[in-house]
Amino acid sequence: MLAQVLVSSITAGAVYALIALGFVLIHKGTGVVHFGYGDQVTFGAYLVLIGQAFIGLRFDVAVAGALVASVLLGAIIYLAFMWPLRNASLLARIIASLALGTVLREFLRSYMGPNAWPFPFLLSSTSVPVGGVLIVPANLAIVGVAIAVLVALYLIFDRTIYGKAILAACENSTGASLVGVHVSTVFLLIWILASVLATVAGILVAPLLTLSPDMGLIGIKGFTAAVLGGFNSLPGAVAGGIALGILEALAGTYVSSALKDMISYAILIAVILVRPQGLFGELTLKKV
Amino acid sequence: MTVRLLFGAVVLVIFFAAPHFLAEFQLFQVCLIAATALVVLGIVVVTGIAGQISLAQAAFVGLGGYGPAILAARYGVPVWAGIMITAVVVGAVGYALGQLTLRVSGHYLALATMAFTAIVQLAFIHSDAVTGGAVGMQMPTLEISGKTFASGGTLYYVVLPVVGVLFLAVHNLIHSPVGRAFAAIRQSETAAAAMGIDVLAHKSAAFAASGFLGAIGGGLLGLLSTYLDPSQFGITQAVYYLAVAVVGGMQSPLGAIVGSAVFVLVPEFLQAFQTYLGLVFALLLLVFIVLRPNGLVSLASDLLRIVGGKQQRGAA
Repeated sequence: MLAQVLVSSITAGAVYALIALGFVLIHKGTGVVHFGYGDQVTFGAYLVLIGQAFIGLRFDVAVAGALVASVLLGAIIYLAFMWPLRNASLLARIIASLALGTVLREFLRSYMGPNAWPFPFLLSSTSVPVGGVLIVPANLAIVGVAIAVLVALYLIFDRTIYGKAILAACENSTGASLVGVHVSTVFLLIWILASVLATVAGILVAPLLTLSPDMGLIGIKGFTAAVLGGFNSLPGAVAGGIALGILEALAGTYVSSALKDMISYAILIAVILVRPQGLFGELTLKKV
Repeated sequence: MTVRLLFGAVVLVIFFAAPHFLAEFQLFQVCLIAATALVVLGIVVVTGIAGQISLAQAAFVGLGGYGPAILAARYGVPVWAGIMITAVVVGAVGYALGQLTLRVSGHYLALATMAFTAIVQLAFIHSDAVTGGAVGMQMPTLEISGKTFASGGTLYYVVLPVVGVLFLAVHNLIHSPVGRAFAAIRQSETAAAAMGIDVLAHKSAAFAASGFLGAIGGGLLGLLSTYLDPSQFGITQAVYYLAVAVVGGMQSPLGAIVGSAVFVLVPEFLQAFQTYLGLVFALLLLVFIVLRPNGLVSLASDLLRIVGGKQQRGAA
């Protein structure tokens, strides 16, 4: 029983981890916390659906089309909103990212209807018993992709000169441009990468959850995971996601499934209060 | 002084004349604008003036609606008393939430207040025995000394005076030492602290004020809609109130009124496009935060400045 709960919870945790990776990528790379990221994940899944159901593409072609479209979406978000707001107050940038998410969600509600859509699994969703525990290949794919994305991003950020350029551009954009980093190109690439990641997450997550315009609320869980992990640490985001998934599953099994979400939000507030640097992050102090 | 008296007299005349010229439904809409403006006024105080982002307003509104309804259903407390008691309690909750700002600010504060709203909404949905669960509950009718106030035409005489008095109070608050301290904190917490302002106490007070205003506004909105639906008190609604504040103009109480008027009246003109309403509001928020972060009110004051500038040149 406990083993089965843990195995299923790791899938949920990987979902949170995947979304948390997007948050951390944008925050680490551009210094912006994107409150509309959850809605972007939903939008990515809908892009596939639009390609498949309305244009009549094959599923794999629709997926490829959605990925291309999300490159455009990321570029539009940066060029039309985040670049003009680069010197705006933090408040304005927070509200703008909330507004972006709301626009995407309400666009879907207006044009695709408020109801849920069925969404196909990429892999088989029939469970296979392994050592007395049921394992679902489609869920395994989510865990695999989350880890693959983590490793790829980790290598880019920590092992390549481009990663250093990204971090430099975020840390001190004037200084970075002085040493030859093209800051706005770096930010553009980060937004595109995050947008593609959102679509990948959306495609993997949509069959598990119900694909409706409100699926973006999953963003808060991704957020919680990112906060647990320290918001600046990529491995932290994955660890935070898995930890949140397990905590939720335990709370759902042993306390009450109705209280599950409340518990995870309470964890969010508690962690922000007690350990704002997250469970795995390190505290950065700004000296005045 | 005479200007103020004259202004007050004009307001009173309009207040008593309006019911003779407006239909029942239009009076209802005026009440709706006023009650929404009161909710948004809370955001003006905490976010616009004190600079602390808050996504807790929808939760305050929900508590302000459920409070009097539960007090009336369980303990027979009159609705008007219930609204007042609840507002004071929610103000205290706001103060406690404000204590969070000791340790968090910026996007962490947005996140914490967002989580607060989510928790309160889930509490409404899952406390079936008390709140009626996901179905919601009936808001009792307002009764004061034997008179019932159930329609837009009668609630008009309750909602508008209450909202008017609170707007006056907030106007005075903003121009008081406390209000100036709020503004100083928005501009620089370090500088405010260096001037001897108790930053945490003031930030908490701003949250308390936003809780109080949100709860009264929530009570009035409940009276107007007569039904409490828990889906109306979530994060989406918190962003909606923020959108009203941004579009109207977050820096002044006037902005709350202008924004509420836009958000209540636009659906009337767009009745044929009900499906696109949410999208229209979201786009309004996005366009304003990028192009006009200080809202419609700043547009008007810019226009006045242009006109005023021309007059001055003409005089010289």
